[in-house]
Amino acid sequence: MAYEQVKVETPLVLRILPVASILLFFGVWQAVVELKIVPNTMLGSPTQVMALFWEKLFEANPDGAVLTTHAYISIIEAFTGFFLSLIVGVPLGLLMGWFALAEGLARPIFELIRPIPPVAWIPLTIFWFGIGIPGKVFIIWLSGIVPCVINSYVGVRMTSPTLIQMARTYGATDWDIFKKICIPSALPMVFGAMTISQAYCWTTLVGAEYLAADQGLGYLITMGRRLAMPTMVLLGMICVGLTGVAIGIIIERIEKRLLAGIRR
Amino acid sequence: MNATVEAAENRRVKIEVKDLTKSFGNLLVLDDISFNVAQGEFLSIVGPTGCGKTTFLNALSKLIPTTKGNIFIDGEEANPKKHNISFVFQEPTCMPWRTVRDNVAYGMEVKGFSKARLEERLRYILDLVGLTTTADLYPNQVSSSMEQRIAVARAFAVDPDLLLMDEPYGQLDVKLRYYLEDELVSLWKALKSTVIFVTHNIEEAVYVAERILVLSNKPTKIKAEVKVDLPRPRSLIDPKFVEIRKQVTELIRWW
Ligand SMILES: Nc1ncnc2c1ncn2[C@@H]1O[C@H](COP(=O)(O)OP(=O)(O)OP(=O)(O)O)[C@@H](O)[C@H]1O
Ligand SMILES: [Mg+2]
Repeated sequence: MAYEQVKVETPLVLRILPVASILLFFGVWQAVVELKIVPNTMLGSPTQVMALFWEKLFEANPDGAVLTTHAYISIIEAFTGFFLSLIVGVPLGLLMGWFALAEGLARPIFELIRPIPPVAWIPLTIFWFGIGIPGKVFIIWLSGIVPCVINSYVGVRMTSPTLIQMARTYGATDWDIFKKICIPSALPMVFGAMTISQAYCWTTLVGAEYLAADQGLGYLITMGRRLAMPTMVLLGMICVGLTGVAIGIIIERIEKRLLAGIRR
Repeated sequence: MNATVEAAENRRVKIEVKDLTKSFGNLLVLDDISFNVAQGEFLSIVGPTGCGKTTFLNALSKLIPTTKGNIFIDGEEANPKKHNISFVFQEPTCMPWRTVRDNVAYGMEVKGFSKARLEERLRYILDLVGLTTTADLYPNQVSSSMEQRIAVARAFAVDPDLLLMDEPYGQLDVKLRYYLEDELVSLWKALKSTVIFVTHNIEEAVYVAERILVLSNKPTKIKAEVKVDLPRPRSLIDPKFVEIRKQVTELIRWW
């Protein structure tokens, strides 16, 4: 029967500590800028970033779009790339794990492409797609697909050999075994790939936008540099970080839901 | 002997093992083994550790190719895709993502049972092995002895031509083992399957089987055949039981 979750009380000190640490961080940062230890041309203070945040919610200039538009574009790009990498990478990895033919065909190419950092594709991508959304989706897809393929492959490979033998003695075909034994057994690994892949996609997104874009959070950072506005650079960075964290939490929730459905 | 169970020699030959030989490289494990199993017979195989009992079952179920010789079921070469062969492995083989019910149904799904027949048979088998109340739980929610019962139920459910069991109760405590052995015997009686039961445990072999094949050390041959012509339910302290047990023990004294 279901086990009772054992609840352990976290001591008060341990609960306060993270809050204190963050407050200290921002406090020191504010002080460093206010006291001109670092000149304002090199670093904006937290309060300046907050002020710019409010302003950028309604004001499109100087970079051409309001903050929510930048975030929206980035999220759309990241998710399109992410979903495409799931759709292609997971089946590919699963098939490679079970069928020698699929592994023989796809693995050498995969191993060849894998060590190339996705941002190295940017110049070619600009030739092929220009600086619009499709090019960035392509690069994001390239980075997201790697963990999808690897995790799905490993997941199938880790299928219990006894279960496979058991299925064989009943006369199951290779395809039967793949469908009913290997895939369910690989699912936890596949869901694990979602979290990793999502993180890769988001990281690559900023790189892609940094070099080739006219909208998006990465572009905001580029514009901050061009306009010599460190505060805008910081705002871009913080937005990238916070949005990434938010997406990560959502994906993790989804993953837990899905996993709870197949493993109790 | 039980009136409903005919003496084995009067029954039709179900399984023929002819000149079964298996070597791994230079290591000769099974050396030219031949024997028959009658329709509905309960045959036990005992032999020393590492003599090739698992190899033997793997060859019978076609999990591994044989070096020489063959296995015939109803006069035809054994083929898992055509014949109903079930295998209960030494370790539990439950799929953690399936409920107890769906685990038991797996073999029938593979065999392509119709939905109606599958449902009916499932209900019957679950009831027979007393898994009805736990049918909707997942394997990790039941005890590990239950997992072995699930595997046994799954094996019987497909109405196998040949049921192979590789020390299925080796890891269980004595009390539970007795209980499951009784359950196994009554399943076998109810479903009239042909069973080959491999074990280390001489007492267990004498308790469940109609006939015992004693294997030698590698290269493995059949050293002796012992008939167990005792009424059921059998008693472990019945003098005749003890006598047969001693006889088998004598045969493999050098363990
Ligand atoms: N795939 C293999 N390759 C090489 N040798 C093997 C292989 N499988 C089994 N053997 C050898 O064959 C012999 C028989 O092994 P097997 O597992 O069949 O013994 P067993 O009688 O089932 O032993 P146990 O009682 O411990 O279960 C052993 O000596 C083993 O080393
Ligand atoms: Mg063995």
